[in-house]
Amino acid sequence: MVIPRGAGNRRPGAETTSEDGTELEGHGRRLRRAGKNAAKATSLGMTMPFVVLFAAFFIIPFVYAIAQSLESPSGVGPDSVHNYKVVLSESGFWQSIGRVAYIGVIQITVIIVFALVLALLLDSPFCRGKRMFTLIFFLPYAIPGVVASIMWGFLLSPSVDNLVHSTNLDPLGPNLVLYSIILIVVWEFVGYNMVIYRTALTSISLEVIEAARMDGCSEFQLARHIKLPLLRRMIIFTSILSIIGTLQLFNEPEILSEITTISPTYTPNLSIYNEAFAFTNIPFAATESIILLIIIVGATFAFFTVTRQRPGRRRIAPVGKPGAPRTATRRGLGFPPSLGGSGKGRPALSGPSARAEAMLGSTGSTPGGLGS
Amino acid sequence: MKKFKTSASMAFLILVAVVMLFPIYWLFVSSAKTPGELFGGNALLPPSHVVLGANYDVLTGYESGAFWLWFRNSMIYAFGTAVVGTYVCAMTGYALAKLSFPGKKAILGFVLGGLMVPTTVLIIPIFIMEHDLRLTNTFAGVILPLIVSPFGVYFMWAFSADGVSRSLIDSGRVDGAGEIRIFHRIVLPILVPALVTLFLILFIGTWNNYFLPLVLLHQGSLFPLTVGLATILSLGQQGLGVSSYSALLLGAVLSVLPMLVLFPFLQKYVARGLTFGSTTGE
Repeated sequence: MVIPRGAGNRRPGAETTSEDGTELEGHGRRLRRAGKNAAKATSLGMTMPFVVLFAAFFIIPFVYAIAQSLESPSGVGPDSVHNYKVVLSESGFWQSIGRVAYIGVIQITVIIVFALVLALLLDSPFCRGKRMFTLIFFLPYAIPGVVASIMWGFLLSPSVDNLVHSTNLDPLGPNLVLYSIILIVVWEFVGYNMVIYRTALTSISLEVIEAARMDGCSEFQLARHIKLPLLRRMIIFTSILSIIGTLQLFNEPEILSEITTISPTYTPNLSIYNEAFAFTNIPFAATESIILLIIIVGATFAFFTVTRQRPGRRRIAPVGKPGAPRTATRRGLGFPPSLGGSGKGRPALSGPSARAEAMLGSTGSTPGGLGS
Repeated sequence: MKKFKTSASMAFLILVAVVMLFPIYWLFVSSAKTPGELFGGNALLPPSHVVLGANYDVLTGYESGAFWLWFRNSMIYAFGTAVVGTYVCAMTGYALAKLSFPGKKAILGFVLGGLMVPTTVLIIPIFIMEHDLRLTNTFAGVILPLIVSPFGVYFMWAFSADGVSRSLIDSGRVDGAGEIRIFHRIVLPILVPALVTLFLILFIGTWNNYFLPLVLLHQGSLFPLTVGLATILSLGQQGLGVSSYSALLLGAVLSVLPMLVLFPFLQKYVARGLTFGSTTGE
């Protein structure tokens, strides 16, 4: 997750503090100081809209939810962890956690393998129409999860789709609906992950690729031994995003629950939603939210810790630094220079992600914000 | 050998592309079918006779034109969030990156910490709070929490840090411009590429959002498209009958059409944001 390691000595703004080196006479200095204080107040003021909203819609709800979860129902007595005891002893809640864990293992594996194969193929000399394929694979990102679920829900229904009907299977039946959800999510996110890998691949130094080819490296060996190891960090990054996303699974099962036998506690978020609205038990919903949050943060850190123990493999090739001259990296793939693509057309922003490079960034959910 | 590999790769890519596009093709074709053909006919074939008009009438007939109301609402939520969110995040990110003031480190710490909190977990708590403040069932109630994007601030922070040069800011100061004026006149024009990216990410994220409006809105006239379409689906299941299903699919087509048309042009801006902060290297 976001740990700005190594960013300490180059944190933005660090250079802004020592600008006053000139000698000033008494009156001028006082004026100057007053001006500086006013500027500081204005600067602080510029962050206030965000800070106020952040406090109101992030911190306060969070604290409020913790307070709600510690409230014991009347007749139980003063037991502040009562709700936690009840939720944690409910088999339904644990089943929903287990279910999303199972879904996660399958779908994250499938998504990553497919996205890697597609990204490496599109990065090889064996295909044409790279831009068109990238666009097609990425297209599902623009489609809301609700529409995707409605669409696939019909398509997988034997009463609509005569192909499905002829197989005598019911993908929406109690046995298979879980795999239908996986199918929908895979369809939605393969392209998204592929775009991330492809961007990383375009920042690999051309010289390294050329040198490997000169040494008689086949394209497959190139992909397997040079490109794949260099994607390692990116794979970890996308895995973390996927783990966070899967544990919060909601849209697909919620929509499919309209036309299938999906239970109200199918996934943790579905359970939280139904607890709050179908059963109007807000303290319980708050408790489940907090527990889910702890599980998500815990799972993320666990995954991060495990994958940070690198295998003893040396880094084989340097990666094109976004801040460095870009002549040596590959061009013309339609990505901005900050991501190692073509160098044209973006004069002012030489390499903003150079800083981000120092940290393995991650956003709570997809960057769109509150889980779409 | 290379020829063989090329044909094999192309065959595989085309196969995957067909699988990716197939559901979208099906959606478009089915939205022009009668309910009878939708359930009885061949799912792969185009409609035997196009009944777009009839389906459209059923769709817009639902609660006397609720569909276009939802469309308008989605526009308000998405534009409101994207415009205000981009502006607020840019101003905050720039100030954190380039200006010095007390409390800066604390704010930055909260932003980075906020990146780690999965936001759907906050939706029920936000509902509880908005309910007490009577903000549920309002446009502001949906837009305000969506503006609070730690990712957006982080994105703008890093972009400003490298993209905005100190000499430009200083030249503004020499001319006697205040900090806010410098931000609007000098900094914002430099940040335009980043602003476009963040705008699109916030717009698409809000347009596609389902969970948050579902929780915060309980009044049909305020629904965005996602919640509205889900309502038609559940009503069709409960008794409106299958006649509403073709109309539902047409509504789904209309809700994704703007995005499908614009996406080829916007794709590279969106991709830049998604991959941001995950660059390889040490």
